Amino acid sequence: MKERIVITGAGVVSALGCGKEENLAALEAHKSGIAPVRFLSTTLRDKPVGEVPVSNALICSRLGLDEEYPRSSLLGILALREALEQSRLLSDDKVGPFPLISGTTVGGMDKTELSFPSFSKYHDCGASTEAIASQFSVISSSTTVSTACSSALNAILFGANLIRNGLYERVAVGGAEALSNFHLNGFNSLMILDGQCCRPFDASRAGLNLGEGAAYLILEEESAALRREAPVLGIVSGGGNACDAFHQTASSENGDGAFLAMEKALASSGLTAADIDYVNAHGTGTVNNDASESAALRRVFKDNIPPVSSTKAYTGHTTSASGSIEAVFCLLAIREGIVFPQLNFSTPDPACIMPASGERKPVRHVLCNSFGFGGNDSSLILSRYDRQ
Amino acid sequence: MTGNRKVYLKSIVCLGGNDPDFRSVLSPMEARRMGRLLKRAVWTSKEALGQAGIEIPDAIITATDYGCIVNSVEFLKAALALDDTPMRPIHFMQSTHNTISSVIAVYLHCHGYNTTYSHRGSSLESALLDAWMQIRSGEIETALVGWFDEEEPLCAESLRSIGITLEDRAVSMVLSSDGNGAVREIAPPFNSSDYVF
Repeated sequence: MKERIVITGAGVVSALGCGKEENLAALEAHKSGIAPVRFLSTTLRDKPVGEVPVSNALICSRLGLDEEYPRSSLLGILALREALEQSRLLSDDKVGPFPLISGTTVGGMDKTELSFPSFSKYHDCGASTEAIASQFSVISSSTTVSTACSSALNAILFGANLIRNGLYERVAVGGAEALSNFHLNGFNSLMILDGQCCRPFDASRAGLNLGEGAAYLILEEESAALRREAPVLGIVSGGGNACDAFHQTASSENGDGAFLAMEKALASSGLTAADIDYVNAHGTGTVNNDASESAALRRVFKDNIPPVSSTKAYTGHTTSASGSIEAVFCLLAIREGIVFPQLNFSTPDPACIMPASGERKPVRHVLCNSFGFGGNDSSLILSRYDRQ
Repeated sequence: MTGNRKVYLKSIVCLGGNDPDFRSVLSPMEARRMGRLLKRAVWTSKEALGQAGIEIPDAIITATDYGCIVNSVEFLKAALALDDTPMRPIHFMQSTHNTISSVIAVYLHCHGYNTTYSHRGSSLESALLDAWMQIRSGEIETALVGWFDEEEPLCAESLRSIGITLEDRAVSMVLSSDGNGAVREIAPPFNSSDYVF
């Protein structure tokens, strides 16, 4: 039997706070982190955002860093530290170094915005990832996945494949993305930012709110994790990546890419659609995404759609980091036995699935969707850990 | 997935600073919607696939060390209101690193695995490793792997000050489980410099 890939550590920062417990407390209290701009220096102030509620200066003083790094890297360092700590890898000198696979698109853009027309030395994706990796002696090397809003989820899939193919026993995977003027203005120019809090799957939905944050998971071969008596938080049961191949920024009406990604994820996990207890949707709140994703969900689950919600109404759309942030939320859903209710939902849309109203129930298998510009659509299935 | 198959480089096409005649693969309408980097990427992709005798690959895996920097600079100038450059959505839409891989997918109507690595000088190594693992394990049979970057004066100058040269580059190759007529077998560790000529 092929060896399972388990998760032994998870860390997250988002508009809901720093760390899993702050994020869970806000999710359980149905409290959104979306608010007027506080930290980003911008003239675009009429669009609410999901900012991580700590300044760069405060993060640096907590971490004992000077304020040279881009905000994406600072958020990434916070999240990766939490994941490594939980996995007992910060102080374990018996474990050899392993790689970091991180997703980002904005990278150090915030720094370049301050120095333009000169570019920050942390401008490019690789430099912002290396800034995170450099803080941890257990991280041997790093690489960066950049598939826009599905970057972190694709980083998780690549990392899992590295283990499955026997190249490494363990990897750190996830993504980090801070708000920048560049993409705030970019999404605004596409006219898909809502001036109010986003309303995924609601008939009145009028766009997304941008958010920011970071999250990382430690993935390990099960036997390696058990050997060092690491805590096991869940299993990576499967994943799928497909391309909508329709348009640079719009999704196809039938959700072809999303459908294929979910089907591949199910096939690779050996599970059937009926096994899925909760879907954490991509659900950005744009008219196009939510209808297209709903069409894909109806194709996959037919008449038996499990509870579905988008946590972007809590955090905003954390773009390149969303895949790993929401994967951590899925682990919390499994741990707590909870389906997060769809915040800001009031009016059903015939073009959309009916999102979850929230409940406590055993959650064994969760499907997490993450889609990006260019139709870079990916799905991940995480499962509750049971020792065999 | 315990497959242990061999992986072959079936074809490789490289462009340096000079451009080919894009009309051989792109209609005037298609060409108008693409910047130079995208035209070069589509041209080398089509050439590499043709040489390998493949129409649609199972996966498109792209490496770009610095991304679509020309569009990024255009949009950044406008977003920071530094001059009269208007904020054009097309510059933002085509600024993300995955623009290249997705434009190739739309052009080829390829719904397969599609991803992009952007990590300075080692982007291609990750792209090759990803393709190699999936072919070796039997998940896919063929992959179109590309490595694309473009020159942009402002970015080039800043990179030069830290000892990095930003180069015009378009490399496309086809990896396959089928060794018939292959250039050579490939296996990690991958070194980017083995894939330019």
